[in-house]
Amino acid sequence: MKWHQLKTHAETLSQRHLAELFAEDPERFTRLHRRVGPLLLDLSKQRLTEDTLVQLSALADTSDLRGWIDRMFAGDEVNCTEHRAAMHWALRVPDTRNADNAAGAPELAPPEIRDAVHAELDRMAHIVDKLQAGQWRGFTGEVITDVVNIGVGGSDLGPLMVSRALEDFAVPTPQNLQVHFVSSMDGSQVSHLLRQLRPQSTLFIISSKSFTTVDTLYNAETARNWLTRALGEDPAVTRCHFLAVSSAVDKVAAWGIAEENRLTLWDWVGGRYSLWSAIGLPAAIRIGMPRFRELLAGAHFMDVHFRDAPWRENLPVLMALTGVWNTNLLGIHGHAILPYDGRLKYLPSYLEQLEMESNGKSVTRDGDPVTTRTCPILWGDVGPNAQHAFYQLLHQGTEAVTCDFIAPALRYHEAVHTAAAQELVGQHELALANCLAQSRLLALGEAALPEGEQMPFYKRYRGNQPSTTLMMDELTPYSLGAMLAAYEHKVFAQAVLWEINPFDQWGVEMGKKIATDTLLALRDGETVAMDASTEGLLAYIRKR
Amino acid sequence: MHLNVYGDTLCALVTATAMASSGHQVVLRSAAGAFAEALQGGESLYREPGLAKLLKEQLDAGRLRWGALDEPPAPEVRALFMAFEQADEPVARDVLLRLAEQMAGRTAPSVVINQSAFPVGTTEELQMLFPVGSVVCLPEFLQEGAAVQSFVRPARLLLGCDNERAELLVREVFRPFNRLSDHFLVMRPREAEFAKLAITGMLATRVSFMNDMANLADTLGVDIEQVRRGVGSDPRIGEAYLYPGCGFGGPGLSQNVISLSDTLAASGVGSELLTQVLRINERQKEVMFRKLWRHYDTALSGRVVAVWGAAFKPGTGRIDNAPILKLLEALWAQGVTVRVHDPEALPALRETYGARDDLILCDEPYLAAEGADALMLVTEWKAYWSPDFERLSKIMRAPLILDGRNIYDPAFVRQSGFTYYGVGR
Repeated sequence: MKWHQLKTHAETLSQRHLAELFAEDPERFTRLHRRVGPLLLDLSKQRLTEDTLVQLSALADTSDLRGWIDRMFAGDEVNCTEHRAAMHWALRVPDTRNADNAAGAPELAPPEIRDAVHAELDRMAHIVDKLQAGQWRGFTGEVITDVVNIGVGGSDLGPLMVSRALEDFAVPTPQNLQVHFVSSMDGSQVSHLLRQLRPQSTLFIISSKSFTTVDTLYNAETARNWLTRALGEDPAVTRCHFLAVSSAVDKVAAWGIAEENRLTLWDWVGGRYSLWSAIGLPAAIRIGMPRFRELLAGAHFMDVHFRDAPWRENLPVLMALTGVWNTNLLGIHGHAILPYDGRLKYLPSYLEQLEMESNGKSVTRDGDPVTTRTCPILWGDVGPNAQHAFYQLLHQGTEAVTCDFIAPALRYHEAVHTAAAQELVGQHELALANCLAQSRLLALGEAALPEGEQMPFYKRYRGNQPSTTLMMDELTPYSLGAMLAAYEHKVFAQAVLWEINPFDQWGVEMGKKIATDTLLALRDGETVAMDASTEGLLAYIRKR
Repeated sequence: MHLNVYGDTLCALVTATAMASSGHQVVLRSAAGAFAEALQGGESLYREPGLAKLLKEQLDAGRLRWGALDEPPAPEVRALFMAFEQADEPVARDVLLRLAEQMAGRTAPSVVINQSAFPVGTTEELQMLFPVGSVVCLPEFLQEGAAVQSFVRPARLLLGCDNERAELLVREVFRPFNRLSDHFLVMRPREAEFAKLAITGMLATRVSFMNDMANLADTLGVDIEQVRRGVGSDPRIGEAYLYPGCGFGGPGLSQNVISLSDTLAASGVGSELLTQVLRINERQKEVMFRKLWRHYDTALSGRVVAVWGAAFKPGTGRIDNAPILKLLEALWAQGVTVRVHDPEALPALRETYGARDDLILCDEPYLAAEGADALMLVTEWKAYWSPDFERLSKIMRAPLILDGRNIYDPAFVRQSGFTYYGVGR
């Protein structure tokens, strides 16, 4: 039993308070932090020691992590239930079509895949350039001023998160081009947005890998009707105002999307791993293709690092091992994502999907029930705002929670901020100070406070809540790419340790099917045998 | 009197030439370059009726010569004109700082007359740099295409000056052009600068207003030309600057309007009206593109479009802010090849864009129309007013005319077998 030795180790360590561990070893930070590219990972506030990492590394070996990494990068069918490879990393391999770049570049993917990926990126670049130049025309010949991305899940969270995170890198355009996101099935976002936009100057991107997602297709149909009401029933309206990103080319064609407006992705990319493909188009429209390629370069850097670095220097592997330690050996099942930078506002939602949709599984690759716990419950918010919301529970609640504190060291020195830089730098320093203070207080508890202060129980901080701090030099396309790829590989490595498949999502399929029947029952009053609760609620709705 | 004129603008050239023609001794100073070379060769870089001849006469008579910017003015020089492009404000400041040194210790009163379209308040700032004399402001009102006439017979001379001795000197310099009646309106420098901007802002507003009306007329099936005549017949409004078209351009109108907008924007106030005026104008520059786009059902790739007229108005070879610039970018982005004719502005186009496959410059109007899927009239040069429609329909690939200045009779053009689109008709 591969966990056995670790359990003994954990029993010893779980008696220790983080404050003691820090007091014992002044070199704790030196021993337990790693610098990789633009990132710094600090594990010293985790309830573990160097010895723990040695033992966890052995667990990685026992679980054949090496073999699984090799299989993933070889393009093997690591997604066993859907019989597919998982090659999101191939979306960010360098362009080797011209011989100068090819020399010395690590050959991660076969040439035909690399060429296909870069041909698609070039098509994206053409679209991005035309939009940014103010030369994408609507049906009436007007310049497109607003782009609306219609997508949900991976076709929404990734591009939305990146667009917001890299807003300082937005390219100014003559027409002040804006990018919007619509995802919700109930139409509330789309109806709100369409009230503000002009049909003549609005372009929609229908983003759906399968092109069967009802949420997206309903929103797209609403958008098309909005356009044809204003512009008339002309096939050119769809031609001028719709782009599609999908792997289902025939469905896209049937919907009426012009050939030059279709972008593709491949079966070997999962939705929640797809922001690096044409699914990232909304972000690319915001920041321009050169910046988008820097994002890919940052992720590629992490791919190579993940493939090559020994476990105890390997950032994604260390993140995975730490997570497994907390979940399976310390018994902590809550994990909070706390970016101390408002630009990372959507990172918690993005990681919620990445981690919980990937590793929220209870069946092993062999089809047996798992014997260990898997993905913890993730949630989060921009740190300083969360301090006024759920930090109370972190500090004084009964639940143990681990946290990822995420922050850039430098901010507000970019050209866009010249006028107000002084004040804003001050605000960033304040946020950083809060980031460090909160993780310190969570870890040390009262030991973080000046000595000799006696307090009533209700004011006490027990501490010992473990956290990871992930810092970057600054938030740039490159560092963001590196960080996101690190989380992707962390998720994969954890799945290997838990012996589950992180690339399928059967748990979200059945609900969609049942909803179809329920819709019929709701619309046509068809009586289908349902449970008493559903029937009661249906009856209530029908009477309104 | 001995005068120095600084700058390489049309205003500098016309001022120097006209002043010399009235007997002043003038040195026109500019940086070395095409302008200086042309002048020394007795030629004008600006094509304006009567200018070349007048210039040659003054050079031959020895009353006008070129000089370097940094050469000190002769001791007897009393008045110095500054006529720079708006973007050359730093050059103007350098010149003035150097002059302050070069002229230190001179006892005779001297005046610097700023004609450049710098932001409101600049003349007062320039005065601080030049303590040895007065700096006044005299905004230029040259009409391109009639520049010499509008200088020697000014409708008004808006003088921004708060110093009596300086005013006396300016009046003496302009005496030959101010005989019939007194055209001087004297006010503070800041007020003169602002008045100039308000005038151009008002003219631009009238044009954008009519373009806005024209776009409505398009959808209502009304001929804007009838409306224009009706509106212009009201004496409270008058007929000037009511012509709808494919947008205004030029260094005068648009540049001045823009500088007014910038001045106000920097103060945090901003003119909402002028912002709209400019937006409407920028949009209007693509009006013919939009009509072509619709006509060919949004499929323009591979088509050939002939354009008649590139200059921002007839009588000049300049293309600053001209509608053709936006039009070319729009057409090229859709994969259209453009064949352009203009009697004066082809060199400017060549200089701006260099050689490219999708821009063909033609020195004859009918050559431009050969094989074209559409003919766009952009600048209403007189030679375009009565084309040989029969010949056009033979040489063009498709009989389609887009009249960006509403100079043709739609009924006659249609009778000649063409599809016709105007602006607001």
